[in-house]
Amino acid sequence: MVATLLHFVPAQMWLITPEFILRLLAEGLLIGLIYSLMALGLTLIFSVLGIVSFSHGEFYMIGGYVVYLFLQKFQNSLPRALTGIGALLAAMLVTFAIGVVFERLFLQPMARGEVDRPNEYAILTTFGLAFFLQYLMLGLMGPFPKKARRFFDLPVFDAGLIQATKASLKIGNITLGAGRLIAGLIALLALLAMLYFMFKTWTGRALQATSQDRQAAAVVGINPMNMNTLAFGLGAMLAGLAGAVLVSVYSWVPWVGVIASSKSFVIIVLGGMGSIPGSLLGGLIIGVVESLGTGLFPDPVRAQAYRDVFGLVIFALVLLVKPTGLFGRKL
Amino acid sequence: MTTQTAQTEYALEVRDLYVGYYKDLNILQGVNMKARRGQLTAILGANGVGKSTLLKAIFGFLKPNAGDVFLNGQRINDVPTYQRITLGLAYIPQRMSIFRWMSVEDNILLGGWTFRHDKERLQRKLEENFERFPILREKRRQPAGELSGGQQRMVELARTLMTDPQVLLVDEPTAGLAKLLKREVYDMLTELRDREGKTIILVDQEIRHALRIADYVYILDLGRNKTEGPTAEIVADLKKAFWI
Ligand SMILES: Nc1ncnc2c1ncn2[C@@H]1O[C@H](COP(=O)(O)OP(=O)(O)O)[C@@H](O)[C@H]1O
Ligand SMILES: [Mg+2]
Repeated sequence: MVATLLHFVPAQMWLITPEFILRLLAEGLLIGLIYSLMALGLTLIFSVLGIVSFSHGEFYMIGGYVVYLFLQKFQNSLPRALTGIGALLAAMLVTFAIGVVFERLFLQPMARGEVDRPNEYAILTTFGLAFFLQYLMLGLMGPFPKKARRFFDLPVFDAGLIQATKASLKIGNITLGAGRLIAGLIALLALLAMLYFMFKTWTGRALQATSQDRQAAAVVGINPMNMNTLAFGLGAMLAGLAGAVLVSVYSWVPWVGVIASSKSFVIIVLGGMGSIPGSLLGGLIIGVVESLGTGLFPDPVRAQAYRDVFGLVIFALVLLVKPTGLFGRKL
Repeated sequence: MTTQTAQTEYALEVRDLYVGYYKDLNILQGVNMKARRGQLTAILGANGVGKSTLLKAIFGFLKPNAGDVFLNGQRINDVPTYQRITLGLAYIPQRMSIFRWMSVEDNILLGGWTFRHDKERLQRKLEENFERFPILREKRRQPAGELSGGQQRMVELARTLMTDPQVLLVDEPTAGLAKLLKREVYDMLTELRDREGKTIILVDQEIRHALRIADYVYILDLGRNKTEGPTAEIVADLKKAFWI
């Protein structure tokens, strides 16, 4: 009898302390920032071009591999921090460039109205790009998981309650790994930069204008075709950056983007298609829910495997209550 | 012959225009129209005859299957739509075309996109518009989509006037507005013509109002020209026809 009851008590029950929960929360928020970054990219593409890109995860994948290769090549010839920054910039540049070229070659004909079935066309071409990039990287990198070394260190200090070593940060009794912490912080910086860009610069406002009324944008003199290219390039770049900061946290295979991609879909639908605040909040929610769900699930062995399910449960619940997502509107 | 294109008698001319939304289906079938500089030309006709289609084609949102559009004597068929504002051609479409989720001020400022690096001019034109539409100054931080229909039209007009366009295409600007507001909008259009010498092409269902302010009138009938003439003549004809 007692044995049967015990079966339902979480095996790691003794671990569930306030510190444990706080750590789960913090880790969830950190990973959530990266989800937000990716989702913001997808939102940008959706709002301006009016299509859902099925190659978003592959830009994430490419971003990670670019960092991996960059570190391999320059790890010993450049100072560490500089290598890290260089690697991130390279990842952003490469994914932006692929996005821009792809948009010009394959999506512009659709935007010009030269394609008979634009919706099907968009799905097929972005899927096509996804497969192309997956098999390209499979050919170039092989199927075996790669993992980049952490490319930034924390500044070492000891301020009593908060202590940092190169590899971890300790706040009270909560310890966070430097890899995730730095990944989250970079994502946060990138998000802030994007918000500034979207709301405070002329080009950002032109992107918003194009997403809200394409014809009116052309009336005031904005070239909507250029905005399409820019939005797709930036969207790809954000996914690339998300991959770039995570390649030292997760191991990387050519199909690593598939899950990331579906997560981004979930987030932008959860947040309300095309909403910037929606994708930010949606990313954080999914990050935290996954983290808490995995950490608190009674059976720790299965918990990892269920990781993606927790987000989907919240997703389903929110859509039941509010089918348009949290913020149903455009940019 | 003068090289000063801005001095052509007609600011805008449409010649034998065939245009439609689908291949091989022309809504306009050989429409001709000329708008004299500094005058208000009204385009009237029943619902669905193709008035809005004509304006869309003039601004370039629809590509003509045949025929030409001339601005200041120059053929502009091949000028991309987004460059037409730099030629002094502006367009206020029939459906509301504000940027709904951006502030009123940002909406108006975007009207100055083509000179966005000239801060001083932007401020000056913005200020001019706030003086023209004081209510917009009050609401400048609000999302434009939250304003009333009349105020949204003001935002559109203000945004349009940022660049001082010489030729304005205006499609049913008072549809759905309250009576008093209608009058205001028409007064504003006549003022733009009389004070600033702007050329206005006005498409309207409000025949009575349009005839009150127009200099010249075209009447379309199912994609073709039906009648045209100076307003007084058209009014006389209409009176004869309907005893009004
Ligand atoms: N976006 C569109 N796609 C297809 N047909 C259209 C579209 N807009 C208008 N039409 C058709 O073109 C014709 C003329 O419409 P329109 O120019 O809007 O008329 P008006 O402005 O004179 O009321 C109508 O028969 C209408 O059904
Ligand atoms: Mg119409």
